[in-house]
Amino acid sequence: MTRLARIVAALAATLAIMGTARAAGDATRGEAHFQDCAACHTLEAGANGVGPSLHGIFGRKAGDVADFRYSPAMKRSGITWTPETLDKFIADPQGLVPGNRMPYAGMAKEADRADLIAYLQKASK
Amino acid sequence: MVTKLKDVDVVVVGLGWTGGILAKELAESGLKVVAIERGAQRSSENDYSLPNIRDELRYVVRHDLMQNTARDTLTVRNNPSQEALPMRRLGSFLPGEVVGGSGVHWSGHTWRWTDMEFKVRSNYEERYGKKFIPDDMTIQDWGITYAELEPYYEKFEYTAAVSGKAGNLGGKIQEGGNPFEAPRAKDYPLPPLTPILASEMFSTAARNAGYHPFPRPSANASQPYTNPDGTKFGGCQYCGYCQRFGCEANAKGSPHMTVIPIAMRNPNFELRTNSWVTKVNKTSDGKRVTGVSYTNILNGEEFEQPANIVLLCAYALNNVHLMLLSGVGQPYDPVAQTGTVGKNYCYQTGAAATLFFEGKYFNPFMNAGGSNATIDDFNINWGFDRGPHGFVGAYNVGGGFNTNLPIGYRPVPSGTPQWGSEWKRATAKWYQTAMVINASGSVMANRYNCFDLDPTYKNAFGQPLMRMTFDYQANEHKMGQHAAQVINDIAASMNPSKINKAVARTDPWTVVPYQSTHNTGGTIMGTNPRDSVVNKYLQSWDCHNLFVVGANVFPHNASYNPTGPVGALAYWTADAIKSKYVKNPGPLVAA
Repeated sequence: MTRLARIVAALAATLAIMGTARAAGDATRGEAHFQDCAACHTLEAGANGVGPSLHGIFGRKAGDVADFRYSPAMKRSGITWTPETLDKFIADPQGLVPGNRMPYAGMAKEADRADLIAYLQKASK
Repeated sequence: MVTKLKDVDVVVVGLGWTGGILAKELAESGLKVVAIERGAQRSSENDYSLPNIRDELRYVVRHDLMQNTARDTLTVRNNPSQEALPMRRLGSFLPGEVVGGSGVHWSGHTWRWTDMEFKVRSNYEERYGKKFIPDDMTIQDWGITYAELEPYYEKFEYTAAVSGKAGNLGGKIQEGGNPFEAPRAKDYPLPPLTPILASEMFSTAARNAGYHPFPRPSANASQPYTNPDGTKFGGCQYCGYCQRFGCEANAKGSPHMTVIPIAMRNPNFELRTNSWVTKVNKTSDGKRVTGVSYTNILNGEEFEQPANIVLLCAYALNNVHLMLLSGVGQPYDPVAQTGTVGKNYCYQTGAAATLFFEGKYFNPFMNAGGSNATIDDFNINWGFDRGPHGFVGAYNVGGGFNTNLPIGYRPVPSGTPQWGSEWKRATAKWYQTAMVINASGSVMANRYNCFDLDPTYKNAFGQPLMRMTFDYQANEHKMGQHAAQVINDIAASMNPSKINKAVARTDPWTVVPYQSTHNTGGTIMGTNPRDSVVNKYLQSWDCHNLFVVGANVFPHNASYNPTGPVGALAYWTADAIKSKYVKNPGPLVAA
């Protein structure tokens, strides 16, 4: 795939999911699901681990945390993190951003993702 | 010019699992600890993440995380009548050289060795009589018991995130676990890994044959986990790049992401990397050690680091080498059978069959380091009567996968040409259809299998290389035949389309190809200074402020991977130093 084609595909994927409605999640259950992420991601500002800090993730452009070495794929993905885009990403990280560095196969259950995102909406502020 | 540094409480030589555990524990107890490591500092964040990983050429072919043989290696021979030659490329075994040591690139298989090993001579003599053990088989009891080590096994399993299923909880046999294991106080911290097709097929066949399959316990976190020290693990992603690689998912229990970073945050601890210890220094009367000498390998500067306690925590082979170079204890002479340092080098043996099933898809690229089912019916099962078969020791049999890589993994039925278009067609046809059943077998000590300093060859520091003399004996050949028969019977019952049968090895050991990084012995533990180099606390009989930690203290090698007891013994030694030695420095066991 050329770079342009990849950007187009990512944008198309982003637009496609903007329209889907998501069920509201349970932040308490979501905190437990965050254990899937916690070996690499913190919620503290500036505390990057194997993955970037998730502090203030919502509304941020993908690949935008200072001092973190992102994959070229993530940097040019054109994604802005919203509950919708994050849901799509966590469901299939390599599907949405092929070639990104996150070694996580994905969270299969929609309800689990909704819970996780509800937790992140509270805890990443 | 040698710069003499300020005195510290403890100097740790080598920072892998044992050095990391001891450094963390002793720094937390208030001692000032300096660790000296040959390799470089590497981290999950910068080194074991894309695009620096999943690179078979770099890590497997070019040995990126391993010891550099241009600087130091071994000379090897099969028996004392041969002239030993230097091993100029790593092959049969792969010692790590990096912060984290071989604990970065291991697969995570974590076993509890039992009294079957620790009382090996007593057990066999009691059951089969003294004559059952050949005269030249220099096995001995270890001077430690399973009961003493049990809490330390648990501590290591909980630190390293071992996934598994208990088979014996406090004496009660547990369904689905290993019924032959010694009683454990607690289950594993994590449930077993998700089984794969190959391990399930092996389990079914083994069960049908009357054996007792169980999931192999491995330090591959089956789900996210926080260990008692607060280290967070991710769940294993079954990426297929485990053995030889650092883990990108923080799912493999490794010292560089558990004990070492905790030590690093402690102001009592300091790490010096790219630093090569050439010698342990002694007092003039030889009764104590005074510290170590080392060279910064980046610029050649030489240092002396004085210390009250010296802990040798390098790879097993390198610990023995340092003892020989430093003249601590009497070198072992296999002819006169005097001395102890260098005695009882042991390795492992095995046999394997490859089974091909047309129409099956094993997805060999997708697995964890421990995606394997195992039977111990011929291992720690003392109910298995060795008498009629005439061998001492044991083997375990496993079915499954661990790290089948795109360049090197090319299973083809025997008879396939080794190159050319027919070979290419065969690799494409059979790649998805193959699985392996293999046995890992113990090696008993033999008086001629040992280490000493080579009379001819020297390393980059002008010091003699260590010479390894090793070959398999009739005991191992007999066990190999038994193992091959068991494997072939299980394999035949599975009705594969084709099979490359297991064959017992009878050829001499060589340095190629890769066999196992489970080298043991050389500075063995025991009950008295005549037969051993260290006591049950891994404390030198000669110099009480020197501890030698690692598989180098094992008086023989079992069929199991060694890291379980290596980790447990490190915690056990840390406890002995903290609770006994520091309060009252001196021999912890009367000679």
